[in-house]
Amino acid sequence: MAAAAERCDVQGAVDHVRARTLTEIPRLLDQLIYLASLRDYNSGLYYHEGLADRFGPDVACQALADCHREVCRLLLACSLDELVGQMLDYMRSSRATSGDFISAWKDLEPYRAAVPVRTEQFSAQFLFSNLRIALAITEERLAARAA
Amino acid sequence: MMGLALCLVSGAAFLVLLSLFARGSETGSNSTAEAVIEAREALRSLQTALLAPELVDRIFAKTDLQFVRAACSRRVQEKFLSERRTIALTWVAHFRQQLLSLKQFHTTHARRIAELNPRAELVLAVDFAALLLACRILQLTLYLRGPYAASGMVRRATGIAGKVCEVSERSLAFLNPPGTHLVGHGSAGSSAVP
Repeated sequence: MAAAAERCDVQGAVDHVRARTLTEIPRLLDQLIYLASLRDYNSGLYYHEGLADRFGPDVACQALADCHREVCRLLLACSLDELVGQMLDYMRSSRATSGDFISAWKDLEPYRAAVPVRTEQFSAQFLFSNLRIALAITEERLAARAA
Repeated sequence: MMGLALCLVSGAAFLVLLSLFARGSETGSNSTAEAVIEAREALRSLQTALLAPELVDRIFAKTDLQFVRAACSRRVQEKFLSERRTIALTWVAHFRQQLLSLKQFHTTHARRIAELNPRAELVLAVDFAALLLACRILQLTLYLRGPYAASGMVRRATGIAGKVCEVSERSLAFLNPPGTHLVGHGSAGSSAVP
């Protein structure tokens, strides 16, 4: 009974995150990185003050984890064409120059820290592979424009 | 005196046998528990990731290939094909590994836990054999001819694997709280790879 009530609260919090936060973030790639940024590197737990005040820290953490998994699943289903578009837009919205962005993403591979906890190993590998290809295409397009 | 010694030896032997038997049955129940956990993990991995139609389609459908061919240089096209071949081969390796875990569970433990009739067991054994053979053929084909050379076989294999998962799910249903499904991905294996 208590578990069902908690599940209900989590669903309410998930709906809240979707309606109030994720709709304000236009692309799945940005949503993935935003949700990953709410996760503590050491504990793997998600923190969001407003959501925790409203629903309690445990429910907020679970809801953010659920949203993170859903966004990751949707991003995995994106075509390469869509992924390249998202990467170009994300790069433009960042404060980095395109050259810095490309070299940071190639060298540091920051997206590796952006997948949800307990993502299937294969799904993560596939996402990383797609992002590597999207990055290569983005780099090529930027070089073509510069030339 | 002789009788007492014989009694003591028999008693000690009995105690040793009893302790060996107890240890054996404990190990047996532990290995059954481990096999059940492993089978459940394998089933979860198959249903939520490896057989998810959107993921299988993304890997083996040709839309990404067409996009890359139309919009990218030869260097990027080669990088794309190399990445996709690695992913396709990794997919088959994971798929095969999870199938082996499920097969192990069915051959050694499922009979103790779930009631399967002999005909269902035979069908399941044939399905496992066909799937494991298909995995080997897929590995060879993808390695030699690239990631898009066997989409028909992938579609058939994921279809059969979906049925095997349904049987396994029923065998593992005793782990679920009443009124719930293990994972609830009825669409697993109904991929629409062109």
